Amino acid sequence: MIEGPPLLRRAEIPARDAEADSVAESGPGDASGSPEDSSLAPGDPLKELRRLLFVPEEAQVSKIQERLDDPEIHAEDVSGVLPDAIRLGAARDDRLAQALQPTVEDAILTSVRRDPQVLVDALFPVMGPAIRKAISSALASMLESFNETLERSFSAQGVRWRLEAWRTGKPLAEVILVRTLLYRVEQVFLIHRKTGLLLQHVSAIPRHDGDADMIAGMLTAIRDFVHDSFGGKEADSLDTFQVGELSVWVEAGPLAVIAAVIRGNAPKDLRGVFTDAIEKIHREQAVALDAFEGDAAPFERSRPHLEACLKGERRKKADRTAEGRTGRAIRFLRIAAAVLLVAIAAWGVASYRRNRRWNSYLGRLASEPGIVVTTSGRRGGKYFVNGLRDPLAADPVAMLAASRFSAQKVSSDWRSYQALAPEIIAKRARTVLDAPPSITLAVRDGVLVAAGSAAGLWITEARSRARAIAGITRYDDSGVSDSDLARLEALKRRIEERVLLFPRGSSELPPAESAKLRETTNDVGEVARLAPGLPGPVRIEVIGRGDSIGTEEANLGLSRRRAERIAEVLRAAGGGAVTLASDGVGSARPLRPEVTEEDRDWNRSVSFHLVAGTENRAGSPRR
Amino acid sequence: MIQKKICMLGASAVGKTSLVSRFVRSIFSEKYHTTVGVKVDKKVVALGEDQMDLLLWDLYGEDEFQKMRTSYLRGSSGYMLVVDGTRHETLEKAVVLQNRTEETLAKVPFVLVLNKIDLVDKWEVDDSAIEELGKRGWTAFRTSAKTGEGVEQAFLALARKMAGVTA
Repeated sequence: MIEGPPLLRRAEIPARDAEADSVAESGPGDASGSPEDSSLAPGDPLKELRRLLFVPEEAQVSKIQERLDDPEIHAEDVSGVLPDAIRLGAARDDRLAQALQPTVEDAILTSVRRDPQVLVDALFPVMGPAIRKAISSALASMLESFNETLERSFSAQGVRWRLEAWRTGKPLAEVILVRTLLYRVEQVFLIHRKTGLLLQHVSAIPRHDGDADMIAGMLTAIRDFVHDSFGGKEADSLDTFQVGELSVWVEAGPLAVIAAVIRGNAPKDLRGVFTDAIEKIHREQAVALDAFEGDAAPFERSRPHLEACLKGERRKKADRTAEGRTGRAIRFLRIAAAVLLVAIAAWGVASYRRNRRWNSYLGRLASEPGIVVTTSGRRGGKYFVNGLRDPLAADPVAMLAASRFSAQKVSSDWRSYQALAPEIIAKRARTVLDAPPSITLAVRDGVLVAAGSAAGLWITEARSRARAIAGITRYDDSGVSDSDLARLEALKRRIEERVLLFPRGSSELPPAESAKLRETTNDVGEVARLAPGLPGPVRIEVIGRGDSIGTEEANLGLSRRRAERIAEVLRAAGGGAVTLASDGVGSARPLRPEVTEEDRDWNRSVSFHLVAGTENRAGSPRR
Repeated sequence: MIQKKICMLGASAVGKTSLVSRFVRSIFSEKYHTTVGVKVDKKVVALGEDQMDLLLWDLYGEDEFQKMRTSYLRGSSGYMLVVDGTRHETLEKAVVLQNRTEETLAKVPFVLVLNKIDLVDKWEVDDSAIEELGKRGWTAFRTSAKTGEGVEQAFLALARKMAGVTA
């Protein structure tokens, strides 16, 4: 439709302007081109010249004219240059934007009125992310508040807030919010000035909505009251009133009043927000305000303006950094205090357990015979224990180890003494008496009781030594058997059982009997060793015999020789401690009545008889 | 939903507060009467399918010591003149108050409430006086704050009148 680039075409037009104008001057009809050409008088030479000279240009001019006159073609031309024109205009300054603003606004308004869905559809991709962003930032601030809550929940302040929440019956979140806020506009009332009726009410807190109309009425009444009572001029009125942490700011317009309930300390310039809101409401709804007859529905429109007044400011970071610094110091101190507390507790537990161990050690010392604790306690971080100790008592220092105390950590001072505790006396008696392990010693009611068996010599000596032991009234050894006597008894039986057999007519002991003689020699040697501990001298009678064959005289002599020979051998073994007497009885006292040859063999023999004396020894008779 | 401001007017001790306290929603204490001189309460009245919220400005009773604050009347769509039926002088007072109110508010609907109808033995206000007032366009209701008799009707009548004015 349009040949060539539009800019080029535009540039062409002014280039031809001068010619076009000059042609136009000649009259309106001349510009129309060829249809009129025929009307020119052929006889007019000037005209003819002109025609000849300008015909092509005239045709062009008329074309241009046509283009300018035809709105369709004109619109086509403008549409070609409009985008660039707008771009250039917008780049230069903002006059274009200003000029377009009302039109654009009207266009949007018209569009929304006609069909909101179009704009909704168009805005949807934009609104979605925007809403998500708003929600996420709201969540973030909520999290921050949660974090704050957690951070403070165990601090002194946290406890204080909890107490306050409990006392006031408010939720903890609200208390925290209020305490961390610089200020917050909690409620905004839009009140009809003349009637005091509530037009609109917005609240940042979920409660207090129900009775907003009565509150609005009462607010108006109070303002009237203050104005009547104190206010002079018509313009003077109650603009602010303070109730504890709450203040009510009133911003009055000619027809309506905004009353804002603010918690905390709001900055002065907050009033500007209210002024702005009341002005906007008056501008937009002056007619409705003037005609108000009790129906607040039209004032739903004012809600955004009122909601814009619901401002709040949390404590600034700057405030909190200063607070944070002290906060950190306080936190450090708190940690230090906690560490200290734990240390004290640990020390307390350790010290409690150590004390218990110490007391149990002292208890064991107290129950230990031969140990008397005189003083004990703690001095210079070290335990000490002083007292008396029998040398025979348990070692208190060794006992420390059993109570898991290091000997270096405890100073002990033990003085020796002789304890009269029965256990200690018994111990001492054992030492003094040099009792063999076969003897047990115990002290009962001052009587040292010995039991078991011991050599006769020890028994004898113990009797005399026992008298020297302190704390003993009597020595009772009735439970002690003499081990020497018992042994002697056994040896006596063995010796007396033996019969040494001789061949007929000989006093020579045959080799077959020498083993018996050797055994007897050994036994006699043992008797000789026992002899010093025995109550009396020991005498072994060696009795020689003969059979009834032959003369009695010869038999007697033979029997004596036999006895003497054996006694001689045994005398050497007895070593003087045992008396060995030999005697021959011939066939007078046969061991067996001689019936068989074996009986005769038995009667050609030597037998023994051991006699232990009791009379010549000192001391009480023994059982 | 329509809201209307109405004033409760009447001499001291005619029972305005009793009328209000038993039949309306109240959040403020009686103290407001003696301090601010007014207490605002709410009475919800059903008008067919609609509902009308009456914001009752219960003005402290006029007597020698406390003059009624006329500024409180401003913006009222109607008012209730309360008379103690057992004290004739309260009716006279009501007439005076009605005049004063009309000066301040111009012509707005009102109803006359003859309270304490339960004390019939001590009744002083004679019917002729009421008839006389009826001729002047006054609507009168006999009520008892004690038994509740007539109270709802009085509020409803006032609400109807106001709705008629606005309609």
